[in-house]
Amino acid sequence: MAVKGMNLCSVCCLALYFVTAVLAGRDFYKILGVSKSASVRDIKKAYRKLALQLHPDRNQDDPTAADKFADLGSAYEVLSDEEKRKQYDAYGEDGLKEGHHGSHNDIFSSFFGDFGFMFGGNRQGQQDRNIPRGNDIVLDLEVTLEEVYSGNFVEVVRNKPVAKEAPGKRKCNCRQEMRTTQLGPGRFQMSQEVVCDECPNIKLVNEERTLEVEIEQGVRDEMEYPFIGEGEPHIDGEPGDLRFRIKVMKHPVFERRGDDLYTNVTISLVEALVGFEMDITHLDGHKVHIVRDKITKPGARVWKKGEGLPNFDNNNIRGSLIVSFDVEFPETQLNDNQKEGVRAILKQASVQKVYNGLQGY
Amino acid sequence: MELIYTLRVLIKSILFVILWSKCEGRESEFNYVTCGSLVKLLNTRHNVRLHSHDVKYGSGSGQQSVTGVESADDANSYWRIRGKPDGTCQRGVPIQCGQAVRITHMTTGRNLHTHHFSSPLSNNQEVSAFGENGEGDDLDVWRVQCDGSIWEREEAVRFKHVGTDAFLSVTGEQYGNPIQGQKEVHGMGIANQNNYWKAMEGVFILPSQEPLRHNHEEL
Repeated sequence: MAVKGMNLCSVCCLALYFVTAVLAGRDFYKILGVSKSASVRDIKKAYRKLALQLHPDRNQDDPTAADKFADLGSAYEVLSDEEKRKQYDAYGEDGLKEGHHGSHNDIFSSFFGDFGFMFGGNRQGQQDRNIPRGNDIVLDLEVTLEEVYSGNFVEVVRNKPVAKEAPGKRKCNCRQEMRTTQLGPGRFQMSQEVVCDECPNIKLVNEERTLEVEIEQGVRDEMEYPFIGEGEPHIDGEPGDLRFRIKVMKHPVFERRGDDLYTNVTISLVEALVGFEMDITHLDGHKVHIVRDKITKPGARVWKKGEGLPNFDNNNIRGSLIVSFDVEFPETQLNDNQKEGVRAILKQASVQKVYNGLQGY
Repeated sequence: MELIYTLRVLIKSILFVILWSKCEGRESEFNYVTCGSLVKLLNTRHNVRLHSHDVKYGSGSGQQSVTGVESADDANSYWRIRGKPDGTCQRGVPIQCGQAVRITHMTTGRNLHTHHFSSPLSNNQEVSAFGENGEGDDLDVWRVQCDGSIWEREEAVRFKHVGTDAFLSVTGEQYGNPIQGQKEVHGMGIANQNNYWKAMEGVFILPSQEPLRHNHEEL
């Protein structure tokens, strides 16, 4: 009797435990808006997009903004780490609480830079006060057309000198001033002197951190991704920015024009006359199927809508793939019999039209 | 009841220990110089960083000058490590010892270059910055010489010019105005302590994953 009661009790307890575990933990997948099978890349992409939207600076009217932002940070921290994600999938958030560490600021700044992303593009207070700024660093980031099509993330390690306080004082704001000294009654002398202020001493220490640059789908040549505050330091002011400038490399198969892709295919004379079926392997590996059953003239074009690049501003809109055909003639010469055969089959009258082809006649 | 309770505590403690042991700060462990990275190169013997600026030599070739500076926070000391023009260097891939690279000045877009002209102070081989937008000529190529198999950030390496076989060196001669205090950088035929350089500050690109591949037609 006591045993049976104990079993029922233990089952109830287990059920209660699981229910509270499920209710108590947050659904990180829902917070990020990704599926349970999302790749790390999808998770990074979702975080970056939502972090820009949910940042408290941008939602000053919303009292829950700070909490939502903190949830987002926790969700990214767990799901972007392979080990933590496994624990979370198996045991829920409760299974992780003890190991939770690391500040959200670190995560946010690895995507946007040290001072966070200043919305509107200009840094707060920059125009009011005249704070000296360190140099900007521009890094040309070469990307492939495959990356423009599917998107990608590039991790970099930034090692930079950071101004740290040091003991003692140093001279700062040095400037030339005119000094007037009296030599005698009614006689003065003006001379130039270098005058400096005293400031706390600063030394430069090298620090290192990881940054994540996103190559967004449809990104165009020369577009820049800034990381505020990751440039060169300035002893008397703020550090400059690190900007990644996208350089799209040439591709051996596809040529980009805006959102459209152009490619060329050489077919045999037989295929041009009798028709053919073929597959073109696209930038992400999927196949574009082309079927021709009529005659294909040299220079003929096939338009495949929706097979171009995703548009940068709206990834759901795609350009087209334009395939141009050229014809390769057979190498072997025809004997007399074959020539008769060809005349008989093609039944095309002799055409010998002479005209100026270079001037559009 | 007791059994299940102790089991839960046990599982939680095991989880805690596992997570705690794997818990480290977000420090990077990436130790290589990779293709496309931006670096400052420090001459280990004379403690100056490889530097260039929009100032031309007053003698020799009259091309843009390359010097060594003491400051650590000058953006004009950043150089980008790129492959040869034939495009064999993939972004993020560590540079091999013995690999031929081009070293492009970030702010002016000119390549580290040397040729048979005399350097102004020491009469060694003049080292200049040459080209436009990263494109120069055959004398822009240098071979990275190091002991192991890959160029490690902690390791000092030598740069041997492909074409003249000169080593990128500093021997301490100092310029006067307008580049007061900057040291002369030149090419020398002998390998010694003066031609060791170490990658210091910079932006080191890590290798990326391949973009997603689909093996079926998109719906």
